Amino acid sequence: MLAFANLGSQTSDLLPLGKAHLRELAQDGARTLESFLSEVERKAFRIAQIALRHEADALDVVQDAMMQLAHRYASRPAEEWRPLFYRILENRIRDVQRRRIVRQRVMSVLPWRGEDAEEEAPDPIDQAADAGPTPAAQIETDQTMQLLELALAELPTRQRQAFLLRNIEGLDVADTAAAMKCSQGSVKTHYFRALQALRSKLGDLVT
Amino acid sequence: MKSATERRDDELDAAGKAFERRARELLMESVERLPAQTRSRLTRARHAALESRPSWLSGLVRRWVPAGAGAVAAATLAVLFLVTPHGEGPGVNPLANAAPEDLEMLADSDAVQLGRDADVDYDFYEWAVSEANGAGAPSVGT
Repeated sequence: MLAFANLGSQTSDLLPLGKAHLRELAQDGARTLESFLSEVERKAFRIAQIALRHEADALDVVQDAMMQLAHRYASRPAEEWRPLFYRILENRIRDVQRRRIVRQRVMSVLPWRGEDAEEEAPDPIDQAADAGPTPAAQIETDQTMQLLELALAELPTRQRQAFLLRNIEGLDVADTAAAMKCSQGSVKTHYFRALQALRSKLGDLVT
Repeated sequence: MKSATERRDDELDAAGKAFERRARELLMESVERLPAQTRSRLTRARHAALESRPSWLSGLVRRWVPAGAGAVAAATLAVLFLVTPHGEGPGVNPLANAAPEDLEMLADSDAVQLGRDADVDYDFYEWAVSEANGAGAPSVGT
């Protein structure tokens, strides 16, 4: 009986420490997740923007991916977050593209299509360039970037994914394969074909 | 014999590598030069995502409550198994194989009443029977 009483007092001593420890671990995890998200959010946005060619959709897609990672996979080891996040992002991008295809098909059979085109026009304030000096070199870079974006948008989905994940996010072949849910050999093939296609379209513009 | 990857690397000549490097620079520059408004929206999206994250307490509850419920259910089943008499089979009805006359006797209310009558003086009846059988029984009142 005495042994049980001692055990009870020891357990009650340990429990508050355990809770505090767990809370600390959770706070550390939140900080780590925040730093991870702040590191990837801009790159993810650019990947989504190039794929979708629409800023608001790209923002939605990135926010969805961040929420899903935080909600479902925050407890997973931090080294798994990057391929997981980009896999979620690519799935969201594909969802938006599919919805667009369906919407285009539906709209094509509606007699009053195009009436609200004015409502979907981009906000000129959003489209305005940032304040600040724009030298000629910057304009040239911007134009080259626009051409590169157009060429990337025209690539087949898998080639574009492989090229952007490797060059914007800097994922290695293994993580790119995990994000694209395919083999490393496929990643290399897609990447090589993407590079060849871009070179044939852009030639010396990007050198 | 070179593998397909090695052949690809060979094909990626100097011009190809330069193209790759320049494309990477352009893409990274476009990431760095995102408008302030877009950066602000991304920050808000990040905070919303972090707020949607399950708290440590709910995570703890979500992890341990099902395990606790399972343990309680298992303990309940174990107790029920141990407490419930088993191995003796179902209860046996002692009258199941009784003969009809036995059942009739049991149902006879008089017999039951006789059996229950504690006031009967059986010694007296035995004496009376033996006296009646004997010849020299004195008559009452002599």
